[in-house]
Amino acid sequence: MSFPITGIGAVASIGASPDEIFTGLCEGRTGLGPLRGFDRERFNAQQLFEIDDRSGDGDEPGRATRFLVEAVRQAAADAGLGEDLSGVPVLVGTGLRELRSLELWWRDGIPPGFDAAGLDFGPALQQRFGALDTHTFANACSASLYALALGWDLLEQGDAETVIVAGCDAVTESMFGQADRVQFSPPPAVRPFDRERQGTILGEGAAAVVLRRRPEAGRPVRGWLRSVAVNCDARHPTAPDREGITASVRQAHDIAGVTPEEIDLVLLHGTGTPVNDLMEAQVTGDVFAGARPALTGIKSQTGHTSGSAGLMSLLVALSSIETGTIPAIAGLADPLPEAAGLRLVRDTTVSETVRCAQVNGFGFGGVNAVAVVAGAA
Amino acid sequence: MSVVISGIGLALPGVTAPADLLRPAPADPAPVDPAALIGKKGLRYKDRATQLALCMAAAALRDAGLLGEDGPAVPGDRVGVVVSSNLGNVDTVCRAVETIAKEGTAGLSPMDTPNASSNITASETAIRFDLRGPNLTVCNGITSGLDAVRWASLVLRSGRADHMLVLGVEPDNPVARSLVGGPVVDGGAGLVLSRAGECARPRVELGPAVRSASLSTCAERLSDIAPGAAGWLTDDLAVVPLEADHLDLRGRGECSGALGVLQCAAAVGWAESGRTEPLYALLGGAAGEPAAGLVLTPCGPAS
Repeated sequence: MSFPITGIGAVASIGASPDEIFTGLCEGRTGLGPLRGFDRERFNAQQLFEIDDRSGDGDEPGRATRFLVEAVRQAAADAGLGEDLSGVPVLVGTGLRELRSLELWWRDGIPPGFDAAGLDFGPALQQRFGALDTHTFANACSASLYALALGWDLLEQGDAETVIVAGCDAVTESMFGQADRVQFSPPPAVRPFDRERQGTILGEGAAAVVLRRRPEAGRPVRGWLRSVAVNCDARHPTAPDREGITASVRQAHDIAGVTPEEIDLVLLHGTGTPVNDLMEAQVTGDVFAGARPALTGIKSQTGHTSGSAGLMSLLVALSSIETGTIPAIAGLADPLPEAAGLRLVRDTTVSETVRCAQVNGFGFGGVNAVAVVAGAA
Repeated sequence: MSVVISGIGLALPGVTAPADLLRPAPADPAPVDPAALIGKKGLRYKDRATQLALCMAAAALRDAGLLGEDGPAVPGDRVGVVVSSNLGNVDTVCRAVETIAKEGTAGLSPMDTPNASSNITASETAIRFDLRGPNLTVCNGITSGLDAVRWASLVLRSGRADHMLVLGVEPDNPVARSLVGGPVVDGGAGLVLSRAGECARPRVELGPAVRSASLSTCAERLSDIAPGAAGWLTDDLAVVPLEADHLDLRGRGECSGALGVLQCAAAVGWAESGRTEPLYALLGGAAGEPAAGLVLTPCGPAS
């Protein structure tokens, strides 16, 4: 079974649409910049991949919602759904909800009157699009792919004909601060799978797709969702687990009915942390023993966009399928030894046919989600 | 394929059995003491919501026969977790920004790092009970509890898991109180959901779930698709027909994301008290927000 993706939308620090983001990746642009919303005096780390959308000095509430609404608007328009989404379930995966608004309200009293209803995205989606069947899932860094699995199930079980799945996050001071506290020294850059990688840097963004049970006559299909597997390591609150991640990748292949040899490209989770990249290189080596897919990742240029990261990678996979161009992993100079047998895309974009791609998303709490997408069937 | 409640566990002040939920809330009950219920081991550095959730998880898994004296009774890779909580980690988040404003990030505790992520309760539950199936955290406002039940049911129907543990939990603390304008329940309920015919002791069958623009249209749709409910679980008396029982869970503090799961727990109490007629559970609908509804039917005397 597979379902057509009929609309896409995204915003990130390096671009305000899926096309701009993909072009930015291929051209080696980065969204890394000095802190814009936080008091620089209070942190050792001084950089983030923020979206530059604030109107004045200091921070403002409601930005995660703003990113989400824009990504959903783009995806709905692309699919020809218009702006009335009253009959369409909207599933949102997020790491940090509107917790940045909570922080600003608790500390500074802005926005006044903030309450529990402002923590999730339902009210904003209802106000903007008339959406009634809205769902906010707080599933850390695999949230948007987790939401995609539930969207798949809604279609597969016949509960819906059309589903919008999205992911979004703005950086919270609590998460940035906790990372700042535990990092020995702040990483100057995100360098996935490099020996010298020193950790990740958070980013902001939102991504959305429209999924349908079947394509609509006369409308383009952006790609096909072949599977989404989800599981949980049940081992450690922050560190990834080899066994759990391996199981999620194999399960994604099984559901899609593909062999490792049939996967042409893997969009790696690739956070640039020592543990994630080591684990992901080992698992990828195990699963793809004998197969040689191209491997890339986007976080050195977009930052770790948390809840939206998985769908953001999925949109890049769709662009690679469509264009035959695979962006390189920026900042990768000297791959870690465990990646010696892996075909990591380095230095420059690669041109080759991509029929089928795997997309990885792993999160705090051991929540793993892996999707398989393909081009025209 | 239908989905049933196959196990239940409560962690709620002054309440021990599901049937207690059919009676008015006790006055000034003692807070739930997680260490007394499941032992002190493993509770250190866990936030209050997670500690409470672990209590209800242990009770619900045991009740469903999935957890024995020697540990798990079924393979953990086919059991998943859905947590519903809106206020779960708001205290950690707000304490962090206060600390950063006063002392910078050097004042933060590294032990709070996992608690800054809103899925901490679901992941700690998975770790403690080795539950490796789908692991989901629903933070969806007032309808969260019924939404969590809906997503757990979907995951069972689609075959991603054989059993799903659903936990609805909200902690009481100053930040949570400020967000809801009063005391919070400081507890909740846990359910195990299973496919009908694949569990030892089915209690309550989960009927169709609906979502509508208002509570009244939600009530009408439930009455259309599954007529004949004898009891209504709702805070809004206006939608309840005169001849039906009104089951009211108010008086326990704001239940927020725990409320829908507590409604399902009350339905188990209804079944245990010998009732066999269906119930409707309804949430939301205030001030123009969407409403969610669910039909709950006792599985009968054999349960």
